[in-house]
Amino acid sequence: MWEPVNKDLLGSAQETKKSLTYWQDVWRRLRQNIMAMIGLIMIATVIFLAIFGPMLSGFSYSEQNTALANIAPNIQITNISGEDYVLVHNDYKLIEATKDGELIGALEILEDNKTEKYILYLINGKEVKFDYSLAQKNKVKGSNSMENTDMKTKYDIYVDGQLIDKYDVKNVWNKTYILGTDNLGRDVWTRVLYGARISLTVGLIASVVNLFIGVLYGGISGYEGGRVDNIMMRIVDIINSVPLLLIVILLMVVISPGLQTIILTIGLVYWVGMARLVRGQVLSLKEQEFVLAARALGVSKAKIIVRHLIPNAIGPIVVSMMMSIPSAIFTEAFLSFIGLGVSAPEASWGTLANDALGGIRSYPYQLIVPSVAIAFTMFGFNFLGDGLRDALDPRLRK
Amino acid sequence: MASLLEIQALKKYFTKSNGFIKKVEQHVKAVDNVSFSIEHGETLGLVGESGCGKSTTGRTIIKLYQPTSGRIIFDGVDITNFSEKEMLPYRKKMQMIFQDPYASLNSRMTIADIIGEAIDVHKVTTSKSERDDMIADLLTRVGLMKDHASRYPHEFSGGQRQRIGIARALAVNPEFIICDEPISALDVSIQAQVVNMLEEIQRNTGMGYLFIAHDLSMVKHISKRIGVMYLGQLVEIGDRDKVYSNPAHPYTKALLSAIPIPDPLSEKAKNRIILQGDVPSPINPPSGCHFRTRCKYSTKECAKCDPVLKTIENNHQVACHLFKQ
Amino acid sequence: MKSRETILEVKGLETSFFTHLGEVQAVRNVSFDINKGEVVGLVGESGSGKSITCMSIMKLLQHPGKIKKGEVLFKGKDLVTKTAKEMRSIQGDEISMIFQDPMTALNPVYTIGNQMIEVIRAHRKVSKKEAYNIALKMLTAVGIPDPAKRMNNYPNEFSGGMRQRAIIAMALSCEPELLIADEPTTALDVTIQAQILDLLKELRTKLSTSIIFITHDLGVIAELCDRVIVMYGGMIMEEASVNDLFASPKNPYTIGLLKSVPNPDILIKQKLIPIPGSPPDMLNPPKGCAFCKRCEFAMDVCLEEVPELYTVANRHKSRCHIYHPDAPKSVRKQVI
Repeated sequence: MWEPVNKDLLGSAQETKKSLTYWQDVWRRLRQNIMAMIGLIMIATVIFLAIFGPMLSGFSYSEQNTALANIAPNIQITNISGEDYVLVHNDYKLIEATKDGELIGALEILEDNKTEKYILYLINGKEVKFDYSLAQKNKVKGSNSMENTDMKTKYDIYVDGQLIDKYDVKNVWNKTYILGTDNLGRDVWTRVLYGARISLTVGLIASVVNLFIGVLYGGISGYEGGRVDNIMMRIVDIINSVPLLLIVILLMVVISPGLQTIILTIGLVYWVGMARLVRGQVLSLKEQEFVLAARALGVSKAKIIVRHLIPNAIGPIVVSMMMSIPSAIFTEAFLSFIGLGVSAPEASWGTLANDALGGIRSYPYQLIVPSVAIAFTMFGFNFLGDGLRDALDPRLRK
Repeated sequence: MASLLEIQALKKYFTKSNGFIKKVEQHVKAVDNVSFSIEHGETLGLVGESGCGKSTTGRTIIKLYQPTSGRIIFDGVDITNFSEKEMLPYRKKMQMIFQDPYASLNSRMTIADIIGEAIDVHKVTTSKSERDDMIADLLTRVGLMKDHASRYPHEFSGGQRQRIGIARALAVNPEFIICDEPISALDVSIQAQVVNMLEEIQRNTGMGYLFIAHDLSMVKHISKRIGVMYLGQLVEIGDRDKVYSNPAHPYTKALLSAIPIPDPLSEKAKNRIILQGDVPSPINPPSGCHFRTRCKYSTKECAKCDPVLKTIENNHQVACHLFKQ
Repeated sequence: MKSRETILEVKGLETSFFTHLGEVQAVRNVSFDINKGEVVGLVGESGSGKSITCMSIMKLLQHPGKIKKGEVLFKGKDLVTKTAKEMRSIQGDEISMIFQDPMTALNPVYTIGNQMIEVIRAHRKVSKKEAYNIALKMLTAVGIPDPAKRMNNYPNEFSGGMRQRAIIAMALSCEPELLIADEPTTALDVTIQAQILDLLKELRTKLSTSIIFITHDLGVIAELCDRVIVMYGGMIMEEASVNDLFASPKNPYTIGLLKSVPNPDILIKQKLIPIPGSPPDMLNPPKGCAFCKRCEFAMDVCLEEVPELYTVANRHKSRCHIYHPDAPKSVRKQVI
């Protein structure tokens, strides 16, 4: 007990403590942030759906079926007889459906009498008369609008001459087109998923451009300093002072509108913020002793920027990149919405929203779906970006 | 034999421009007319308070800053106006150890990469296994273990990090190392480890050191000669014992008396000179002798002309008007 | 000697930081007294727990730090059980604290005068005019030239030494009974440090304030303090009057520490004997004595059991197994 300790058994006095590497530590803190994790799941969902969704939906983004246009995700089906259900469409067409809400297709028209205002259909051997003459009779005096009045006041349905109870309807979800169809009978769900592809492509390219041009430009500008820095930053100021919209319109003149133009525009403009951020980081890092040590060793400028300065500014770079993705997606949606984006039949969230604008009163779901998609993605990226900012902030690092 | 390093009238001014329309240029005279030399295998201690230009002197010598004027002669070659490319062979002969063990190592690189960078830049070796052996050898030389090479800096304590910094400097086998306050950020019990190691390296390799510090007791311990700086100027330089036992400049006297001594009896018996006021701004230093505003012996002459270094005894020079040639 | 009235009594204080990696035991079973008018030096390396001890006394611990156990009796009242609101009336009034960095301890957007008046009015029911007079008196006392004009200056117009003087003036403006100074001279230059130490020495003779002076510089301790507490690995290793500690240290750690610093007054070249290794990781502190892995006299028992704090001489305590009654005398002779 009172014997001196054999020093060799104590182990080396120069031990180090094992600790987490930078990225392990970031991941640990990110995991603790619930909002960031929700954001991450949201982004993962969007990416997964964008890649695999269009393959699984069963429709193509450009497949049209005008007979089944403008069908809502939630439909009211009327029982004709037995197992036969029909969907009364807003434009006085009957569409055959199953009890569960699966659409079978447009019905065979026997007679379309425009003067008497009725249409005769044939369903499973039964003659169905769809009489829409009521629409004129029940029209509210002084009102021109057809849309605001209840559909059910406008028609009567006779099956084999018998009037059936038109109020005997069933609310079911559209099983064929889960998010309905647009005005050309295209599946909205497929088109939104396809739009996600375009939006994510734009976001990805914006971030890659950000990373390469912005980081290198800012790195060189900050490290060189003095006159070089001054000139480079004035160029940035010039680019930053020209409105984005102006650049797009100017580019439209040269190149045809479309995805390439948008990507080019975003590529031309989006690295500016990153360049400024990296320049600021580099300016403060280059006076640090590890950079001086590298200079004293004779390490070349390029190597100092790439191996010493940029890796140490990686935190703010990642956060800025993460935040630039939603802003690029948003820009694309906005440009598409005002008609400067992708052209038909390609769909982006912006064009989907724009197309839906015409029928906003009758078919609001067509606008809601792409809007929700944009909002969902925005939230996802912003939650994750905020979480990353907290996780990467070196001031919180112990 | 020529001196290892000779500094002649070195000046480094930093320009600060103020004002937007009418540009006003101000010069911060960080190093103002400093001359000294260092012999092979010798340690010159450079002391002074923060802002006196001692670190700038070190950084200018290794050409991290381009000197405003003056000459830096290393091994008989004037390297003052060498380009970065011409400097490269001299970066192998001259190295630097930094103050902050946390800021001086790139936290995103492994220890092997940090030390290996020096080997790569100067192409000391091109074979991978030889490079690994060299890194392992350097680590053992500074008292670390070779399997530490794959670790990251944050896994080490302050003293161990400083050892890594020393290993990096040693990787190119320099003839001269500038030690820029290498121990001031370390714990008391660790400081001696590093100082002893630096002394041992010097014994083994015959390297010259410029040891910059504000801790006068450690400087005294490690240096053969000592230079005292005040506001960018060298006010006194000489053999260690002469400067410590017989300080000539009033500033040196005050500086030495201000060191707290870890011994209460001699501490209480000590006659401390307490300087009044603060160090003036280096943008607009007092005319003549820079120290005159805080000096109790200052005369009219001190305000008028700049004092120059005068030899007062063998190997002991002082820049003060109190001493006549 | 002044009367032996104890104003602060720390009993079995234990403070830990609960991090994601586990519990960091920053302060382990620390007990000491501070008498009225006494200057006690708390010396130790970084991570020794000296600052955390004082943060615990002031209840200024940040998350995830927590006082686990122990009592801090200030004039007989336990501060540990006090609420944040009750503590606020004590902080800055009866107990003041000065921090290390004079550059960040003052708010840059208010003038020095404003900040001082605010502190005084927070604790004393006085008019603005009276508070102004107190502030002016304090700034004069700490040797700030032209204090009336300086009151209207912003902190950036003060140099480091001047700021530290202003901070001391602010800390003393409510005439606290206890002043905790956390490395107040570490960030300053030697000549400015000499000025501040001189000021503190002068103030302690004028006022009856007790001071806890935290530092890692043994020289500063020797100059200013009456009594010294040496901390290592969150524990008190040695406690003695300043003369006893430097003349005959009784703990291997203190002995090692004193051997590793050069004495600038001795002209011959001394050999520095460093303590090998690095301080312990408080996440996994050694089972036995905190210093055992670096101690040249370590015995088997040192690895297993934490030694007690033995009283080895008059008012001189040391935490080391060599003072255990069963320990062989030969080992003790080797050490001292």
